[in-house]
Amino acid sequence: MRRKGMALTAALLLAALVLGGCERGPRFVKRADFEEANRIVLTFAGPVDASWAADKAHFTVNEKPDPDILLDIESVRLEADGTRLTITMADPLNQEQPHQVVVKDIVANGKPLGSTAVIAARSYFGHLFAIFLGALIIQNFVFSKYLGLCVFFGTSQKKSTAVGMGITFTFVIVFASLMSWFLYQFVLKPYRLDYLQIIVFIGLVSLTVQAVDTILRKINPALFKAFGVYLVLVIANCIVIAVPLILADNEYNMFESLMLALGAGLGFLLALFLMSSVRERLEFANVPVSYRGLPIAFIVAGLFALSFMGFSGMSIF
Amino acid sequence: MDPLYIKLAIGGLALLGSIGLFFGIGLALAAHKFAVEVNPKVEEVKELLAGAQ
Repeated sequence: MRRKGMALTAALLLAALVLGGCERGPRFVKRADFEEANRIVLTFAGPVDASWAADKAHFTVNEKPDPDILLDIESVRLEADGTRLTITMADPLNQEQPHQVVVKDIVANGKPLGSTAVIAARSYFGHLFAIFLGALIIQNFVFSKYLGLCVFFGTSQKKSTAVGMGITFTFVIVFASLMSWFLYQFVLKPYRLDYLQIIVFIGLVSLTVQAVDTILRKINPALFKAFGVYLVLVIANCIVIAVPLILADNEYNMFESLMLALGAGLGFLLALFLMSSVRERLEFANVPVSYRGLPIAFIVAGLFALSFMGFSGMSIF
Repeated sequence: MDPLYIKLAIGGLALLGSIGLFFGIGLALAAHKFAVEVNPKVEEVKELLAGAQ
């Protein structure tokens, strides 16, 4: 009983400590956001004085890792309601980096409120979503990087097999990339063996495929039958090795890796589905004899690649 | 040869070997645990068929 009481007291103390540590004083500058290429917008909790905001010497902007290098501010503009302030920079900002905005000697309603610093950063979920969509559509592995073409042409004759292959592939690529991310970050890099990454990743991919094969055969024979030969074919797909290499090159963290792998897998599924829909119809088309089969498929893939070029250069968030 | 390189190479060999061993044992265990008994008669019947296709 006494023990329980002591544990409770300890838990309460800990909770108070944590809560106290998390509590922050009220902040007058509520948030800082990027806008367009060279603007940062500050939002204040209440209206600030226009005469204070007119002086751009009250603001400094720097990239968070280098506080010594202050960036040039071109102009500062306060909106009529006095709570939104737009800082226009002389040069475009590198918005991949979080930026620190130091706001000095704030004056609101004639009262000085001291100085404060805020961080403007892109939303992390937006960044993750951009990676996902980039791998899915903008930089589709099949249509803009021309990877995995062998399996792509081999399994896109029928819609059902195409979808089966796509799902198996997504499955395997997510597992394999997460494992290779882990191995790269925690084993290869600390021991300076990153020059062996290709060999290790190839091993991991075949390991994943073999493991999925073994486990699926026992746990879900129906699904295993449906996947059939495609499970083994995944080993021969080069997207599955490209993704771990890209992850290692870009030093992605776990969530970014997951998003890239998911995007690559679903992008392959999308490509297979589109292609198989066209090829099912091509069966009934009057194709010149010398173009029947694979040649016309290559031409169709080229047309798809052309239309996917419409997404290139798009940037989200 | 610089002994540093030899050290690095041996370290790499040892590490990759142990990774391989680890995952190999893992796969073997998985195969053992998820073993599916196959009816031996399936193979026998297949052997007896003509097998042209």
